[in-house]
Amino acid sequence: MLSILELERKVVKTDLCTNCGACQGMCPYWRSYEGRTFVDYECDRKEGRCKYFCPRMPADVDGLLKQFFDEGDIVPQLGAVKELYLTRAADPEIRAKAQHGGTVTALVELALQEGFIDAAVLSKAGEGDGATLDPAGCLVTDPAEVRKCGGSSFQIPPTMATLNEALKDDVYKKIGVVGTPCKTLAAYKMMSKPFDDNDNNADNIGMVFGLFCGWGLDWKGMEAFGDAAHVDILPSKFHRMDLDDKQVDLDDVLPLVRENCNYCYDMTAEFADVSVGGARSSEGWDVDKGWNQLIVRTEKGRKLVELAREKGVLEFREFGGGDAKAAAMDKLKNAAASKKAKAVSALTDKYGDLGYLEPSKDAFKDYIK
Amino acid sequence: MTTKNEPGKTYLMQGNEAIVRGALEGGVHFASSYPGSPSSQVLGMLGHIAEQMGFRAEWSTNETTALQSCMGASFANGRSICIVKQNGLLVQSDTIHCGALGGIKGGLVIVSSDDPDSHSSTNEFDSRHMAISANIPLLEPASVQETKDMIPYALDLSEELEQMVLVRVTTRICHGRGGVELGELPEKRPFTPIGEWDRMVGINWLHSFLLEKLERAREAFEVSEFNHYNGKPKAKNLIITGGTGMKYVLDSLEDLGIEDEVGVLSLGTLWPLPEKLITEHLADAEKVLVVEEVDPFLEEHIAAIAGKYKINIEIYGRNDIIPQIGELNPEVVTKALKEFMGIEDEKAPACGGEGCPAAEGLAIPERELTFCAGCPHRASFFILKQALRREGNHGVVMGDIGCYTMAGQRAGQYGYHFMSCMGSGISAAEGLGQLTNYGFDQPVVSLCGDSTFFHTVVPGLINAKMNNANILHIVLDNSATAMTGFQPHPGTGETAMGYETEKISIKALCESIGCPVWEADPFDVEETTQLITDLIRKDGLKVLILLQPCATLAAKTRAKKKVWVDADKCRGDNCGCDRYCSRVWGCPGNIWDFEKDCAAIDEVVCVGCGVCAKICPAKAIQVEGGEE
Repeated sequence: MLSILELERKVVKTDLCTNCGACQGMCPYWRSYEGRTFVDYECDRKEGRCKYFCPRMPADVDGLLKQFFDEGDIVPQLGAVKELYLTRAADPEIRAKAQHGGTVTALVELALQEGFIDAAVLSKAGEGDGATLDPAGCLVTDPAEVRKCGGSSFQIPPTMATLNEALKDDVYKKIGVVGTPCKTLAAYKMMSKPFDDNDNNADNIGMVFGLFCGWGLDWKGMEAFGDAAHVDILPSKFHRMDLDDKQVDLDDVLPLVRENCNYCYDMTAEFADVSVGGARSSEGWDVDKGWNQLIVRTEKGRKLVELAREKGVLEFREFGGGDAKAAAMDKLKNAAASKKAKAVSALTDKYGDLGYLEPSKDAFKDYIK
Repeated sequence: MTTKNEPGKTYLMQGNEAIVRGALEGGVHFASSYPGSPSSQVLGMLGHIAEQMGFRAEWSTNETTALQSCMGASFANGRSICIVKQNGLLVQSDTIHCGALGGIKGGLVIVSSDDPDSHSSTNEFDSRHMAISANIPLLEPASVQETKDMIPYALDLSEELEQMVLVRVTTRICHGRGGVELGELPEKRPFTPIGEWDRMVGINWLHSFLLEKLERAREAFEVSEFNHYNGKPKAKNLIITGGTGMKYVLDSLEDLGIEDEVGVLSLGTLWPLPEKLITEHLADAEKVLVVEEVDPFLEEHIAAIAGKYKINIEIYGRNDIIPQIGELNPEVVTKALKEFMGIEDEKAPACGGEGCPAAEGLAIPERELTFCAGCPHRASFFILKQALRREGNHGVVMGDIGCYTMAGQRAGQYGYHFMSCMGSGISAAEGLGQLTNYGFDQPVVSLCGDSTFFHTVVPGLINAKMNNANILHIVLDNSATAMTGFQPHPGTGETAMGYETEKISIKALCESIGCPVWEADPFDVEETTQLITDLIRKDGLKVLILLQPCATLAAKTRAKKKVWVDADKCRGDNCGCDRYCSRVWGCPGNIWDFEKDCAAIDEVVCVGCGVCAKICPAKAIQVEGGEE
């Protein structure tokens, strides 16, 4: 089957596509419009990078994890964990725009300044004043530009298309990329060079910054809420999404969750040098508000985070007394395991097996009911 | 085409020129047409000489207006000729039937050109049936000379019978050439004032007069010089031909060396049929082969005559030994004659035909029809496809007749779901567009060209507006009736005789109906794709005019920009584009350099529109002076 047809049938038409953009930016055939990936004309190649880079095409994700990370660090629910911290950007200007503590923005800025990476592929809001409408991928080389991309849009712009274009141009040799779990899985698929004929210079990927993700929202659905500079979903007991000063009942938001997110098994962006999410410690929201939790997964990630500590770019907060850190870890594991169980259940309902996770079925067998 | 009065002198003429000469020798006062192949050139030529020869010629908005304007001229005792193709004749159907009932005054001849094998049509309809249905006389020439001779004859006959006469020609007559001996050019007859009590009214109490006129025509046809008999007298094996069938048969008989063994009755007066003449020949024959273009028209009516006169005879033709579809050619006719005469194959088959040794081993690639290099339609359909795929719903694209009909093929990204006849796109889309109010959930897009817009689209558009259909209607305005050769239409500001006339604005016309109108350039690929995306999402009837002149017209007026491929930027098959320019965009100007393994521009074919430079993902295509 033609590569483009296989990908369209297995991923796009089955509502598995996350619109990450990994299939795009290398050819004129795959495009994205308003959060939806589509083919505009037919390519007649039997084998193409598009289907190999797609994070929703079947692949041995467990094998891939073991290939890129220290096996000793791997926690079944969370991927490789070297360290778990509570952090936030020291610069209040970064924090003002951030969803939580602005840790990712601060780290990417630092990585660019210090030469960990020579360019960064980020997601940026569209034309409006706020951050929520028409987000798109962008390539940044000036550290000062990074903070303009802070905050979350809760949508999935095709950022990996921007990465693919940058890789294809072969100008930058250490490109950092920030993305949700689907995107960072795609980045590691690229680095594993699954397609012999052409790896699109995947060695030029310098660092991967993962973002914790529960789900993304449909493009059109967000239009209904209007543009907002700051968006956040509060801890589950609040059952609420905040857009600037507007508070929206989560029940009004959940129908807009992308269908494909139901099939995602990864909450913490397991494929990354560092992964960052909102702080959810045992001390509660009043304390956690404005803070991130940060998982360090690789040596490179550790070096950057330690440098951030030394330079005062990040502020670190202790977990509180006793076994609070272990409790936070357990909370994270439970949340991540719950997402895996939901994905496995959705996939088995849909396919009768694990679908795109079938090649790693041993790693997911405990989640099969 | 000569306008000289040189009776007896012979000129080499194309069939279409012979029609023009025939009209001159018939002393026409008025000529009208809507362009359609294979007879598109006729009115163009008439328009050029009309001033000089003292008559009026017009490109009409459609075939109905063309014929009705002839009827107007006829009312003042003017002689007129109306030239159409087979589809145009069908457009005139109501006018012909009602007009025939009322009869005419000055001679009125309709020339309908059929296109067997549909070389430049969507069909191979047979015009002859119209004569039976409307009860009007029908003639068909067998040669270019007869074509010229038949027009003045038909005008005389028409005037004598006070009835319009149909002359059917086919592609081989229109585009073929032959020697034509000229006749005399008459003095122009003055018009006759229309009296207070003169009438041309088509109403049923005239039905009996209609049939009487037809009987008078039959009497004339029994002795007409347009019916010939060749070959063996009182032949047992009789061949009856209509129109060009005669030439094919005489050639094949000569090839087979049996011209003395059969008789050939070739008929030029096809309706009403000269029954006496036919029965005389049938009486001597044992079997008959009927050779005619397309339908078994003569074949079945000859069978009816045989039955009526109790003549027991075998009749062959399109219903059996000649293929039921497609054009006659020497191979087909020879094969049929052999079967008819029971001749076994002895020698090698004809060159180029089935089983011909020379034809085997020839690997000629199949080539689809395509848009010209630089054609704006290519960009329009490229854009439309992308806009619809963005919607995640490929939508329904309802097309019409014009160059853009080729959009059903690769040239237009297989962009058509529907196409029928002139005006069909908007009208059928109206049906679907209405259903969007009742659960039909796909965007509906209809398309037409600028000439088609004036021809039949306007009523459909009004219907869509009145009934609140949700449609995006796109007018592919290339400022030309391009397919048939750039004839003037109401939007061009010019008449057939070369006079300036006020241009009719498609935009203003649509707005007057209450349709919101947008205008865009299909060469602005990105912007126009976005505009179509936005318009598809709007409710109601929207009109988008895509303005960009036909590439053939533009090539005459615009300086050609040089376009080339920067071989350093084009990565050939190493680019992920999979030969986007030559394979997907598909302009004949975009070719592949197999030696360098990269894209190239065919400088001879390229017209310099530069659109391919906009879509090349590697930005490898360069345009002189940069992209616009």
